[in-house]
Amino acid sequence: MVVDETPIVSIENLVKDFRPGFGLRRKRVLDGISFEVRRGEVFGFIGPNGAGKTTTLKVLMGLIRPTSGGARILGHDISEVGFRRHVGFLPEGPYFYDFLTGRETLDFYSRLCAVPKPERGRRVEELLHKVGLEDAADLRLRAYSKGMLQRVGIAQTLVHDPEIVFLDEPMSGLDPVGRKEIRDLIAGLHSGGKTVFMNTHILSDVELICDRIAIIANGRIVHEADAAALHAATGGEVDISVIGLDVGIAEGLERDFDVQMEGRGERIEIRLASKHVDEVIGRIVGGGGHIRAVAQVGGGLEDLFIETIGANRQQAAR
Amino acid sequence: MSKRLSVIAVLAGHTLRDAIRNKVLYVLLMFALLMIGMGMLLATLSYVERDRILQDVALSSIRLFGAAIAIFIGVGLVHREIDRRTIFTILSKPVSRADFLVGKYLGLVATLWLMLAAMSIGFVGVSLVADAPIGPSTFAALGAVGLELAVLVAIATLFSCFATPFLAGCYSLGFYLIGHITRDLRAIGEASDSEMMRTATAWLHRILPDLESFNWTIEAVHQLPISTSEFAWAAVMGVAWCVAFLTVASLVFERRDLR
Repeated sequence: MVVDETPIVSIENLVKDFRPGFGLRRKRVLDGISFEVRRGEVFGFIGPNGAGKTTTLKVLMGLIRPTSGGARILGHDISEVGFRRHVGFLPEGPYFYDFLTGRETLDFYSRLCAVPKPERGRRVEELLHKVGLEDAADLRLRAYSKGMLQRVGIAQTLVHDPEIVFLDEPMSGLDPVGRKEIRDLIAGLHSGGKTVFMNTHILSDVELICDRIAIIANGRIVHEADAAALHAATGGEVDISVIGLDVGIAEGLERDFDVQMEGRGERIEIRLASKHVDEVIGRIVGGGGHIRAVAQVGGGLEDLFIETIGANRQQAAR
Repeated sequence: MSKRLSVIAVLAGHTLRDAIRNKVLYVLLMFALLMIGMGMLLATLSYVERDRILQDVALSSIRLFGAAIAIFIGVGLVHREIDRRTIFTILSKPVSRADFLVGKYLGLVATLWLMLAAMSIGFVGVSLVADAPIGPSTFAALGAVGLELAVLVAIATLFSCFATPFLAGCYSLGFYLIGHITRDLRAIGEASDSEMMRTATAWLHRILPDLESFNWTIEAVHQLPISTSEFAWAAVMGVAWCVAFLTVASLVFERRDLR
């Protein structure tokens, strides 16, 4: 999927203050955040608990009014209502009317989005199939597991075929199988041309599916990067396990990329800087070698995240 | 415009469906029907005007239990949706907050009118069994109860936009009680020597809804005629109060952060 440079979401100097209780001092939750999301990308909005991720999403969805600053989605001010016909939203730990069945729930949301009647039934059935709930479609939601509710949540997000979807902690509380399913759904949305804005703190998922990230801490954006820059910035290393590596190719790799090699019988373990991984793999495969495994060693988004948040905390403490 | 009306209709239908699953409503309805039946028992204690006692008790029961149900379902209208977090997925769709409130409100009014219909059937049944008179005034009085309940649930909706269900219930009950004595307050004020008292009670009567204007129990019990213009005026007043309360409720709800 090619990412268009046009911003589909632009947030400018967004500030939100909350009053914790009557007569108490206001607390600043969002402190002048600004960033953009481009059309067609999967954007990961990450940060520790209480950093302001959910508040940002709720402001974008018009559930919380900004104290100052503003945002535009698809060129519309977020205070407008009509453009939400092109926007999908999955809140964290979504709750639905448990007296409705899965099918009735999707029908209800499609009616709210004014999906034309002839299209409604087809769209509901299509989504039930897409999220794997056809067999449970006529069960009341009170009988659904957490993973099934999350899938209903994803389906209601898509029921009106939006251009952009906002997902708040879509993998939260799911088992590994459930996480994989949701991840695959998001990848499917991406390849189908949708823009995805995802709040999460599961960094391994972000690494796997996001094109770009922004890190928020204490209500401020402290880091923004796209996937390529992220890999370069993280400075981690990669282990590649190879069999059938030609000696000439091995020498060339040692000379050109400063790799470390260790032979284990027929298998050779190569450690290299992650920024060279594409070129090295190209040479190995081109030279007739067979790659058996590729694994990240240290570095990665987790290190960047901890480093960035740590630096921000130290700065805040000063 | 048609899209907005369709959203309001979807929300109203959904609210009605949700509300009629509430078991507490059926308990209240059962009590109301029991009290209507009790009218027959109380009537036997008197040698005179048995019909009047029967219908007086039954109509008062309908009004009181109707008010209790209206306050009970109205005060949780917004709070319950926020508490269950169901409001997030609804308001992130092309649904304005005002349309959300109006849709939910109409759903609750439909619920109340269904309950009122059930109580009215009980009332007519008991009256027929006791051979008490039933006429146009009876139905006009029951219609007026429907209007009063619509106003009351609009009041409860307003308070539900910013208060907890308990506080919203207290405020709504206060409005209900004051709404039934504003006429008496004005009469007391008019009899007073103090100009300030006269002005204050007159303004109270103007500002607060006069819920006694929907009380036609006496006319129904004695089968006194109620003119069409009288009923139309009460209906206009009722609708105006509903619109006023819902407008203020929308303004309050529009400013609220849904955290």
